[in-house]
Order: sequence, then C-alpha cells, then structure tokens
Amino acid sequence: MNALASVKAVNEIDWADKNYLVVDDFVGVRQLLREALRSLGAKNIDQASSGGEAMGLLTRIRYDVVLCDYNLGDGKNGQQVLEEARVRNLVNPSTVWLMVSAEKSVESVMGAAEHQPDAYLIKPITEGVLLTRLNRVWHKKQIFRLIDQAYAEKDYLRAARLCDAAIEGHKAHELDLLRMKARLMEKSGEPVKAREVYERVLEQREYQWARAGIAKIRMANGEFEQARQAFQSVIAENRYYIDAYDQLALTYQNLGKLDEACAILERAAKLSPNSVPRQRNLGNVALKVGNVQLAEQAFRKCMLIGEYSIMKTPDAYLGLARVCGQKNDAKEALRLLLQVQREFAADYPDIALRSKITEGLVYHESGDYRRARKAGDELEALLDATESRPDIPTCLELATLLFAVGVKDAPVELLCYVIRNNHDNPLLLDEVQKIFDKARLGDEGLEFIRASKKEATDLMNQGVLLWKTGKLKDAVEWMREARKKLPNNQRILFNAAQILVSHMHQHGYDAALSGEAYEVLHHVDRLLPGQQRFAQLMEQLAQLQPVPEGEPTSGTIAEVA
Amino acid sequence: MDDTPEAPELSLFLASTAHDMKNSISVLSGTLERLLVDASPQTESAYPQMAHMLYQTKRLNDNLMQLLALYKQVGTPAYPFDVQPLELGQLVDQVVALERVLLKSRGLKLELDYDPDLVWHVDEDLIVGVLSHAINNAIHYTCDTVRLAIRVTDDNWLELRVEDNGPGYPPSLLKAGAIATRDTAGGMNFLTNSAGLGLYFSSEVARMHRHRERRGLLRLENGGHFGGGCFILNLP
Repeated sequence: MNALASVKAVNEIDWADKNYLVVDDFVGVRQLLREALRSLGAKNIDQASSGGEAMGLLTRIRYDVVLCDYNLGDGKNGQQVLEEARVRNLVNPSTVWLMVSAEKSVESVMGAAEHQPDAYLIKPITEGVLLTRLNRVWHKKQIFRLIDQAYAEKDYLRAARLCDAAIEGHKAHELDLLRMKARLMEKSGEPVKAREVYERVLEQREYQWARAGIAKIRMANGEFEQARQAFQSVIAENRYYIDAYDQLALTYQNLGKLDEACAILERAAKLSPNSVPRQRNLGNVALKVGNVQLAEQAFRKCMLIGEYSIMKTPDAYLGLARVCGQKNDAKEALRLLLQVQREFAADYPDIALRSKITEGLVYHESGDYRRARKAGDELEALLDATESRPDIPTCLELATLLFAVGVKDAPVELLCYVIRNNHDNPLLLDEVQKIFDKARLGDEGLEFIRASKKEATDLMNQGVLLWKTGKLKDAVEWMREARKKLPNNQRILFNAAQILVSHMHQHGYDAALSGEAYEVLHHVDRLLPGQQRFAQLMEQLAQLQPVPEGEPTSGTIAEVA
Repeated sequence: MDDTPEAPELSLFLASTAHDMKNSISVLSGTLERLLVDASPQTESAYPQMAHMLYQTKRLNDNLMQLLALYKQVGTPAYPFDVQPLELGQLVDQVVALERVLLKSRGLKLELDYDPDLVWHVDEDLIVGVLSHAINNAIHYTCDTVRLAIRVTDDNWLELRVEDNGPGYPPSLLKAGAIATRDTAGGMNFLTNSAGLGLYFSSEVARMHRHRERRGLLRLENGGHFGGGCFILNLP
C-alpha cells in the first residue's frame, strides 16, 4: 500500500531532475539527507555547512529545493539565510524551502511573519516524511502559482478572484486559500470583505489567525478596546501566537498606554528573541516610556542579530545613540552616529540627515543647547542642499527639534511641505498645528496651513476640471506638473493615475502611459499601503494590457520585486 | 507568567543538548534503516539484532521527542501547538513510511483502513508522533499483524485505532492507561511505569486538540478487530 502510494507520488512529480541544496552544520546529517534525496532519484545535490557557504551557493545556482537547518552554529541562522535569499531574489517563487529543526520552533506557529519557509520539519527526517511534505508543498505551489503571480504584480483583486476559483477543486487547501483571500481583501482596502472571509473560517474551526485577522481590522477601524480584548484572548488560547503580541502592543500604543505596550513587547521578545523588527520596536517604546536600561538592552540585541541579517536597519544604532545621550554619554552617542553613517550610507540615502537629527536630540536632551543649536543650523543646511524630504514622521520630528533649538525658517518650510502633500488628512493637520502652537507660532501656523491647503486643492481641482470636460491630454499634462510640485500627495497621485487610465480607455492602450501609471501607483502604495483606490486602479490597468496573461507582465513583476 | 529568571538558561541548555542528540539519533536510525533495507535474514546473520537496534533507536527518539514537547520549559507544558487541516492520506503515508522498515524486519503485516481524502484539523507532528509510537508498541506485543483504522464516528469525532492480534494489554498497563489518561492526570504516577511516559504524552496530545466544547481523549482496551490490544485516539 505504502510502496504503491510512494511510487504514484514520485511518478506524479519528477524529483530526479531537480537541483537540491542541503544546509546543515553536522556532516552526518548532511550525508543522511543526501541519501534520502538520492532515494527519491535526486542527482544534483549541493551541500553547505554554514549560512555563509549557503549564501555563496545560492548566489551562483538556482535551486528547486532547499533543505535548511535552523541552527547553523555561528553566523547566519536558517531563517536569516531564507530572508536574504528571498530579499535578494536568489530563489524562484517555485523554489521549495523546507526548514529543519531539532524541535518544534515557536516561529513555526503560523503567524504573519513576512518570510516563512514552505514547511517546517522536525528531526529525525525520514524519507517518507520528506517525500510527503515535498509533494504537498509542490501541489500547494501549483495551486497558488497564478495567485502569487497576481499578488506580485499587486493586482490584488484578480488574485482574490483566483482564490475563489481555486477553492472549489481543492478542499484540502480551502483554509490556505481563504487566508490568502482575506489578506488580499485587506490589501485592497476592503476590510468588510476580509472580515467576512475570516468569519467563514471561524464557522468551521477556531483558528487563531482568523481571530487575529478580525482584531486587526477592528484596530484599523479605531475600535482599540475591542481589538485589545480580541488579541488578548488569542494569546490566552495560544501563547505562542507571537504576531498577536506585536499587534497587542500596537493597540496599546494607539490607546496611549505605552507602559503596557512595552511590557507586552518584552514578553514577546522573550518568547521569540531573534526578530530584528521586534527588538527595534521594543527599544523605541522603552525609550518613550523612559526605561533606558531596557531600551539599551533591546537596541544592543537588535544590532547583534542584525549583524547577519538582511533585515538590519539603522534604527537600532540611532536609538542606542539616544540612550547614550540620556545617560549623558554624548561621546559614545557620536561614535555610534559615525558608525551608522559608515555602515548604512549605501542603502539609506537620508542617513546623514537622520543621524544629524539624532545628534541634535542627544544634545538637546542632555542640555547642551549651544551644540544643539549648531546641529540645527547644520540640519537647515542639509535641507537647503536637496529637494527631497524624509518621510512624514521624520519631518515632524525634525520640525519639532528645529523649533526647539531656535531655528525658524527651515521647520516652517518642512511643515508646509507636509501639509501640501497631505492636505486632506485632518488628523495630520491637527498635529502640525500643535507643533506650530508649541513654537508659539499658532496664528502664523493657521495661515501657513490654509495657504498650503489651498495650493494643493487648486492644483488638483484644475486637473479634475480638465478631465471632466474631456480635455484628457491636457489633464494628463497638468497632473504631471502637479506631481512635480507635490510628489507625495496621495490624492493628486491617485487622480493622476485615474486620468492616465481614462486616457487609455478613450484613446487605447499606450505602453508609455501605462508604465507611467504603474510608477505613480507603486509610489503611492509605498507611501500608504492597503488603499481601496490602489487595488481598483491596479486592476483596471492590468485589464488594459493588450496581451494575454503570462510573459508580457513579467516586466512589472521585476519592477515590483 | 511563568518566566522565572533561571528558566531561560536551562531551557536554552536543554534545547541545544537536544539539538545535538537529535543529530546523532537521526544518523543512527537512518543508517540502520538503510542497512536493513539492503539486507535480508538470509544474507545477514545479524539481521535480528539490527532489527532490535532499530526498534530501540526509535524508542529513544520517541522518548526524546515526547520529553522535549512536554518539558521544553522545566516543569511547564510548553509546546508551540499548531493545528492545520490535513488529508488523512498524508498522515497515514508518513506513519507508514516511519514504520515500514521496522515492520518488515520483524516480518509483520500492517493493515490499513481509512479514507485518504478526508480532511481533519490536527497538529501534524504530534499526531504522526503519537501514532508511530502506538505502532512501535503494538509491534512489540503483536503476533503477526498490526491494524491502523481511522473513521469519523456518528457523533463526528475522528477515531484513530491502532490494534494488534497479540494477547492484549496486561491489566497493569490498562490501569496505567486509565491513570495517565484521566482528566485530572495523577501527575507523577506514570513515572512508575515504563510505558507510562508514552501514554501520558499521547493523552496530553489528545487533550490539546480542542474544538468548541470538546477535547480529544485517549483510551486503551482489549478487543477490537483481532481481540488484541487497542490504542484508541478520539479527536474532535
């Protein structure tokens, strides 16, 4: 019976001609896995004994199957190898990645971690288990192939329709498909539909990811108290559902309860300590509640695990510099700021600005007002030298600091930039007004806000008028100019894309216009992901493509990836 | 919370030791299986001894896995429990593959009765572990046949039965089973019986599986298809 089943499975999928990579630091286990793979008929099997060696091989060769141990001794661990391989596109979407460990790991509990392997295997690994799991992952990938492709192209609505179509014939994967669909609905700005999907799952079984999904939607709705209760009951049901801890901390932050947020992140970091983002969040929250010791611990741990991780960011270094400042060790803070600029210059173009901001904060908080003012002047000079501006939270932080150290023009300019690009966001306008108030510029601020809002509104209305009156060519041109003036205004970006789509609806497909529309939409999605208009416009654009599905859209995949 | 200050270091130490031991056991049982596949009682005079070594190696691994799952943090049941939908065909394939060589080396037959397309919601690693442990046990006691039968009962439980055609469980084991599987498990009692850890582990695994108001449960009895020992796991 079993022999028959195995033969059938092997015949179905040809495992013989695939390329395999086995990663384990123990030579006996590598040999054993190689033997097991050979018994499936495999011929091309490479081996690596460390994360570094694995990365070297992955850079040169495209593997179909990777069997990777989680614990690899010193250096990168298995998860870090996986993350780097995915981020650097060293593996294909079809590559099967199996993570091997001696015991069931906390990370294997299906959370929402960004880079999950396709399956986790527990030692000892035997041929039967290996074959069963390989076949299963392979079939799942077949079912998800087109869905994943649409997802990579960010055509979320098409991907969701494909999920619906697949559920019929694949009962065993129904829950995977529903989970994907719920996620797609969230990404398309359709929380009500996402919630319906989660509820459909819960009618079958009490799956904690569905409960957590609903809680996340409630949080996004501003129902923080209900979200808090829901996340807490998820944790009570399964204390290893780590994602719920991170979300609960976020809920507490939204409720203004920073101490509770800090405590819950501390618990999560104990259960699953090797996450760069979690340690970074813990450090930042600890800094906010004034727990300098905990902040220092978290930032140092973050740097330590970041050493071998592609997920490494400058935040921990900047945070630790703030910690040093609060401990009155400005010298150590400056040393860290020099280091962060050296290490991150290549990937973070705004790192000079960000470390200068931190320098200003360090001096300001330690009471060295003369040096703080000097840092403020240098920041003003940095801003003068370039057109580009950092993200909105950094702008607000920077403006606050500049006002505090006595610089006037640069922060006003920054805040006007923020308003022009977010003229229809009342919460943000309030926040900006408060910064003006605090700088004792309340009345002037009111006027700045009014003028900046009008500037943005006028630009947009003129474009809409041209569009509505059928002057599509002029409208396209006008919106191009508007985008130059206000590169990060979401309303203007969405309207620009909408007008490009209308143009193609009326005058036919045009590769250049289509490319322009995609560029605009990807930009707005980076600014604020998960908006309904984004999903709708992406779908309309995809439907405008003249060629049938398959090859032609690969250009977009490459761009997105 | 149960985060005592010394617990993390100790559990870290246990985890890394276990990691090491698992490597050795992997190699040991893998090598033995390979030797047995290529050999037969006619060509290899040590065949029965090798078969026995494989049986003992499997027990060692079972016990290690059970201890790790139950006592990862000292004294606290702390296993990252994870239920997923699973086709019975895939569950049975894995169990059968795990036991194939051992069954063959003992000249035993495994009968199967199940619907491979049926989907149930289980922690796959745990259930594969429990079933292969039960079959290992049955191999020890049976005459010449072991039977794995899975069905959905009238009141919608998944019933998994491992039966043998041996003389049945001795009264002491039935009693140990009753104690180990009792709802308010008599904490330490299982330690006095060599089969107790496995039973305790299996009933813990059963109890972890919950759906609405129901909890899984385990029972031992004599009878069934062959009138021998029956290991019966009911999952909601």
